Amino acid sequence: MLRSYLAAALACAASLAITSHAQAGPVFDDVVSGGKLVCLVSPSAPGFSVPDSAGIFQGFNADFCRMAAAAILGDASKADIRGIGFSDSLKSLVSRQAHMASRSVTETGTRSADPGLAFVATTFYDGQGFMVPKALGVKSAAELKGATICAEDGSTTLLNIADWFAAQGLSYKVENIADKTARLQAFFAGKCDAYASDMTALAADRRLAKNPDDYELLPEIISAEPLTLVTQPDETLEKAVRWAFQVMLNADELGINSTNVDATIADLDKQPKAVQRLFAKDGAAADMAAKMKLPADWAYQVIKQVGSYGEVFDRHLGPATPFKLTREGSQNASTSNGGLMYAYPIR
Amino acid sequence: MDRKLQIPRVPQDGPPKAGPAVSLADIGVGLAILAAVAVIAFNVHSNMLAAGIRPGFAFLTQQAGFDLSETLIPYGANDSYLRAILAGLANTVVVAAASLVIASLAGLLLGLLSVSASPAARFFALAYVELFRNLPKILVLLIIFVTAVNGLPAIRQALVLGPFTISNRAIYLPWLSQDPRNTLWLLASLFLVCALIWLWARHATRRQALTGRRMAVLPVALALCVAVPTVLAIALSAPLGLSWPALAGFSVEGGAALSIQFCTVAVALGLYHGAQIAEVLRGGIEAVPKGQIEAAAALGLKGGQTNRLVIMPQVLRTVVPPLNNQFANLLKNTSISIAVGYSDLMSVAGTAINQTFRPLETMLITMSIYLLLCLVLTGVLNHWSAGTRAREGRGER
Repeated sequence: MLRSYLAAALACAASLAITSHAQAGPVFDDVVSGGKLVCLVSPSAPGFSVPDSAGIFQGFNADFCRMAAAAILGDASKADIRGIGFSDSLKSLVSRQAHMASRSVTETGTRSADPGLAFVATTFYDGQGFMVPKALGVKSAAELKGATICAEDGSTTLLNIADWFAAQGLSYKVENIADKTARLQAFFAGKCDAYASDMTALAADRRLAKNPDDYELLPEIISAEPLTLVTQPDETLEKAVRWAFQVMLNADELGINSTNVDATIADLDKQPKAVQRLFAKDGAAADMAAKMKLPADWAYQVIKQVGSYGEVFDRHLGPATPFKLTREGSQNASTSNGGLMYAYPIR
Repeated sequence: MDRKLQIPRVPQDGPPKAGPAVSLADIGVGLAILAAVAVIAFNVHSNMLAAGIRPGFAFLTQQAGFDLSETLIPYGANDSYLRAILAGLANTVVVAAASLVIASLAGLLLGLLSVSASPAARFFALAYVELFRNLPKILVLLIIFVTAVNGLPAIRQALVLGPFTISNRAIYLPWLSQDPRNTLWLLASLFLVCALIWLWARHATRRQALTGRRMAVLPVALALCVAVPTVLAIALSAPLGLSWPALAGFSVEGGAALSIQFCTVAVALGLYHGAQIAEVLRGGIEAVPKGQIEAAAALGLKGGQTNRLVIMPQVLRTVVPPLNNQFANLLKNTSISIAVGYSDLMSVAGTAINQTFRPLETMLITMSIYLLLCLVLTGVLNHWSAGTRAREGRGER
């Protein structure tokens, strides 16, 4: 790492000598000079990133790629969103083939310690749970003593189950099946008593049953899965992505979204001070833009082109979607509603 | 000039000398390969260091933290990655052995059907071979797995057939009760019976070569199968009690279980490679000149004797190289187990990579193990086929 950073620093120094503009991070500069932001998503994650009929990725995670492009380049459509498998996406970041990944990566200590990755902002608090057939008559995961659990082979899920059952002092058996069809078939046919995965995945997978109402999710959440945006390590890029996400959280708190942002700006003088700081030409956000080398109206572009956090959540995962997830009562509610989505002050 | 075309001089003393063992071109090619490997290794190493990754195998002693669906050696989430990989290896070896037996039997049966006099039998063999060798094996596996899981009864409605309990989780059967003496008895009996039968068969063959008299092999083998375990059971004072499977809580306790994923992988690979082996055998059988069979008949050999003493030795000689290839393929193809949740070497290695971010080291280990397994398997088969050739005075030993 050191050696390559030295090389990068030398290259930067060389370019500085000629052009002498203030140095931003090399990855950030690459985004700006290339005019596009390469962002990795999961190739097929319903609600989070699925290609539409035109082959363009849509979904909760894909929108954070657009958020970064809107903030840095002023145009959400300049996000070059690519679908790629989990391990490959992290390898691509480490080997600098992409600028960032928005693909439900759980931030863990060892992953965060990797010098090739920078975990920037948690966009979704997920957790692992269990789905069971109602006929099993189990109301709590604590009753799963001796049960056989189906889970995805090779995933963190296997480790969380092992930890949780050991901590509860319960015996269990695991069926670690890699193929999703085989795994779901095994569960729906009763080869496993319960199916373990992230709660969001369980909600989506339950709908694949012949009769979804025969199955239910148990209330216990046995793991913390903070799904976090990852970038190549680059302080300027990290700041831009982190604060673009904060703009979305602030807008959410202030009740501003893509449909009402133009009307809000039209009579900005009558708006609360916090709104003025976000959108005024001499506001705090504009001041930040100058220091972070972002377009002056970056906050407006993020909200106008992508939306507030709550808007993006509802658009892809909310009650009007097949996933019917509600923010209220979940960890993804704002702190004022008892959740973990904490809007930092933009001032 | 091709050395193979040289007509050897008739030696005065000893065999003809071989040509120079290595030519200059050989050395050049060898050096080029070594240089390419060195460049790749150096490049990978320096790139890993540049990315802040320090290659090493210390992670093998770390706690793995995940459970496996079934293991033959004791293993739990608290054990090390090394032990997890060994457990996966044991699972791979066992499922490969089971598939190999099924594939060989299916291949032998279908190979014989494909050259039989009956058109119906020939058509059946042809249809089978064409079906299975033209389908991707992962598809065959998934179809069998999904059918078994949906078709067999759930655990609480498990079908009890005599000593067997059949459900879509596993096939349970009564087994020796948990006792180290029982395990020792089983393993020792198996080893001793095999070793003694092999020694006796060798002795019988030598006697026949010396005296021309055939000695009884089958009765002795059967007697050994009964006598050795009995003597050992008394010597070890093994309790030999049986544990019966019974429904308890969510699952079946006691007895032994053959999981559905194990059975489906073994059957899928057995059927798939059975088709390939049948073709290899058919080729071998059809390559035996008709005159050999007529000559055997002229000598008064019966049908079975003709097969065993005249046809099969010649078939084996020609089919061993392609069979070797089949067996090595079968061994490697066990890696499709991962799809249906049988914790083989590949499945464990995949999980280890995802948890440790050590793809290069883990892949190196996995590749070395598969390489070693294949080399041992083909080495044994080559040794054996060299033996069959030597008996006919053609091969070198």
